[in-house]
Parts: sequence; C-alpha cells; structure tokens
Amino acid sequence: MFTLGSVLDNDFKSTIEDFSFETEFSTNQLMLPNIEKPFEFAQSIIGLEKDLQENENQLMFHQQKKEERKERALIKGYKGTTTLAFIYEKGTVVAVDSRATSGQYIASQSVQKVVPVNEYMLGTLAGGAADCQFFLAHLGRICNLYELRNNEKISVAAASKLLNNILYSYRNYGLSVGSMICGYDTRGPQLYYIDSDGSRLKNSLFSVGSGSPFAYGVLDAGYRWDLSKEEALDLGRRAICAATFKDSYSGGTVKVYHIDENGWVKISDDDASELWYRYEEKEKKKK
Amino acid sequence: MDSLVGFVGKNYVLMAGDTNAGRSIMRLKDDFDKLVQVDSHKILAKSGEIGDGNQFCNLIIRNVSLYRINNETELTTKSVAHYTRRQLATAIRKNPYSVNLLLGGYDKKDQMGSLYYLDYLGSSKKINYGAHGYAALFVGSILDRFWKEDLDFEEGLELMKKCLREVEKRLIIGTRCFVIKMINSDGISVVEKVMINSEKKNEIEEEN
Repeated sequence: MFTLGSVLDNDFKSTIEDFSFETEFSTNQLMLPNIEKPFEFAQSIIGLEKDLQENENQLMFHQQKKEERKERALIKGYKGTTTLAFIYEKGTVVAVDSRATSGQYIASQSVQKVVPVNEYMLGTLAGGAADCQFFLAHLGRICNLYELRNNEKISVAAASKLLNNILYSYRNYGLSVGSMICGYDTRGPQLYYIDSDGSRLKNSLFSVGSGSPFAYGVLDAGYRWDLSKEEALDLGRRAICAATFKDSYSGGTVKVYHIDENGWVKISDDDASELWYRYEEKEKKKK
Repeated sequence: MDSLVGFVGKNYVLMAGDTNAGRSIMRLKDDFDKLVQVDSHKILAKSGEIGDGNQFCNLIIRNVSLYRINNETELTTKSVAHYTRRQLATAIRKNPYSVNLLLGGYDKKDQMGSLYYLDYLGSSKKINYGAHGYAALFVGSILDRFWKEDLDFEEGLELMKKCLREVEKRLIIGTRCFVIKMINSDGISVVEKVMINSEKKNEIEEEN
C-alpha cells in the first residue's frame, strides 16, 4: 500500500547511493493494478459485492448503480476553487481563494492553496488537494536538491518541466492536479500551467478552478503588461473576489502574493464576503 | 478541436495549424504553436491532447537528433514517418498516445517535399494534401477541388488561406488565429501568423 514514508525513504536512499536522475526523482511507489485505467477500476469495484447481491440484472446494475458507486467510492476529491496568476512588468501576482468543498458540504474555509516551492517560486493548488500538496512539496524537495548540486537556482521552466514529467507518468492514475508554477528567475517573471493530464503551458495569465471563468472575465478586462504594482495586486484581488461572489464552490478568504527578484511575499489575506461589500461601498462613495 | 492542414506544392510543403490551447470550454492560450520542428527540414504538426502531444513529439525529436549524432547523417521524411508510426503502434495497446500528426518534410536528395498523415492508432499514409481535426471535414473538399500538382508558392498560400477562411467561417468553436509554415530547400520558415476575420463581407472578391 502506498505510504508517504516509503516514498521518502526511497528518495533518501537513492540520493546517497545512486545518482541516477530517474530513480531519485521518481515517486513510482503507487501499487495499483497493471491495467489501462487503474483508478477507474479501483472505483468500480468498491461496493461491488453488495450491489451484486442486491440486483441480479447486470445491465441495469451498470447503468443505475454507477452514480451510487461513485458516491460511495472511498476516493473522493475536494474540488471547487479559484486560483489565478499573471505576470506583468514588475513581477508575478498570485491570488487564490481558500474554500474546500466535498459535494454540497464546505469542508474548510481556510485551506492553503498556495504552496511555496522555494523562496522565489510558488505553486497553486487546484483539483485534488492531497495530490497537489504532495507533488508540490516533492517539487520543492527536487528544486532544493538541484540547487545544492548545481550551485545555481533552478529556473521556473525547468521546475515546471520536472513536475510535468512526473505527472505525465501518472496520467491514467486518476490524479487531479491543476497547478500553476509561478516565479521570477533570470528570464524575468514566469508562469506555467501544469495539469495532471500532462499538459504544460506557458502564458502571461492563467486562472484555474471552478470559478476560473468568472475570474477570467475581470482579469482579461483589466490586464496590461505595464500595470503598477498596486494596480496589479488590486486586479488579482478583485478577480478572485468576483469569482467567490459568483461561484458557490469558491470563497473563504482571498490571499494575494507577489513575486519579484527578491522572492515571494504574501501581500494580503481578506475575507471574501467582506471584501465584496467593501468594494461596493467604494463605488458608492465615488458616485 | 485542433485544426491542422497541410499540402505539398512545387518543391515546398505548406502546413498550418490553429494556435488555440484549451481545457473543456475555455481557451487557455491563443498563441500555442502546434507545428514543432523536428530538424532543419521537417515539421511535426500535432493535435489531440496537449500532454501526450508534447511528450510524444519530444520523444521523436530527441531520437531523430540521436540518430543524427550517432550516424552523422540526416533521416529522410519517409524514415521519420515510419519510425513515428512504429512508436504509435507499439504504444496503442499498452500506453496509448492520443495524438494525430501531420509530418511534413523536404528531402534534399529527392529535391521534393512530402507529407505524411499519422494517426493515434498507428496508421500512416503518404499524402499530397490532408487535414486533422474538425478542419478535415471542411477543408477536405476544398483541397479535392482546388489542389493540383506543382502549385506555385503564391497559389499555394492562397489555397491555404481559402481553407483557413472556411474553417473560421463554419466551425462553431472560435478558431481565428492560425500559423502557416513552409518547408523548402532553405529550411523551415514561418510564412504568416494570420488572424482570419470572415465578418468582412465578400472578402475573397476584395482581395482579387
């Protein structure tokens, strides 16, 4: 059975004895059946015996019970989020909400959706919380090792490519990762979108999560390369606020980070609903 | 949702692809180049899943480079097509790559361009003109009607724009931005990064 401990042991052993790139950076300890879509198979067998006893008509079983089996499946995901990031002249802005939902239930209003990879790189979390947290923390370990070995800071492009290759090797295992790697390196501010399907895209702005269409609306309307720092932070904050207002799966607090050549800094942490009414009052005062 | 179009002309190959990269209904990036360079005279146009496309094309490009380093000779387009097909075919029943490809290349030895149509199932065919994705539905008939052997570069470019205009006009999913690349004896060149706007009425007549 997969355990975090066994993965870490393997990493440490191999760093001392074996300098091979593959074994050291691999996390291939998941023990799932050797078939095409092991995760879907695993989900499908949960509750199988009980259902077979209840319903002998196999065809109806497959059609009707599929939803029920999915609900009873032990592997559930905490989905629903809004994260965004964009690069501009002076650096990178990252803004996230902090709500985690499990179906109709709000599991938490204070989730940390930004994971620091190192002092000048942040990773955002969307999709499966456990998957993102583990792989981003693992990426942090790899980047640290790279710096120690090569005596230079790893570039954002290289870090995102490492994560991309790892996630690609797990592409049919049912992982759910929609992460953005945001940072500032020798090439300036950089932003990559990494997916559990194996995609890796480079662009100047991204938004990921169930509330991303709403965030894109505000973001696209206000984005320019030559924003001032205040304007950029305000844009990120307003976009997440708009998404939390419209999307029921996003909410909690709005956290804004800024990355420049000195590293990343957490700028603000505001309650989403309060923020919305604060903006409304500002508009009223203007009029 | 990706559109790729390609055809062979007089001593050149013209290829075009849309520049959208998206996830479900959202466009994440509108300058995503799907026509990757394999070596100085070959382009692999990829469509399908982004991750599979990236990794598979990287595999092909690196192995072609390795061959060149080991054997000090460039591979022909036909060889690359065969190698690519073999990789797709061996993977299909174990670890399938969901990529459809168009391989275009110019061989100095034969002094002519060639185009190969490759499928995720491991099929491969040398073609004069072809397309992948939804574009294939619209563009297939245009190319059947208007393509002929030994098209000049100007005629070829006009034919390509005709195809892309049709894709933009009829495909309900917005695909306005395309990149057109050409391979000839001088190598690969980006002809145009074009944004088609067929809202202008009688556009074809205006240009004529």
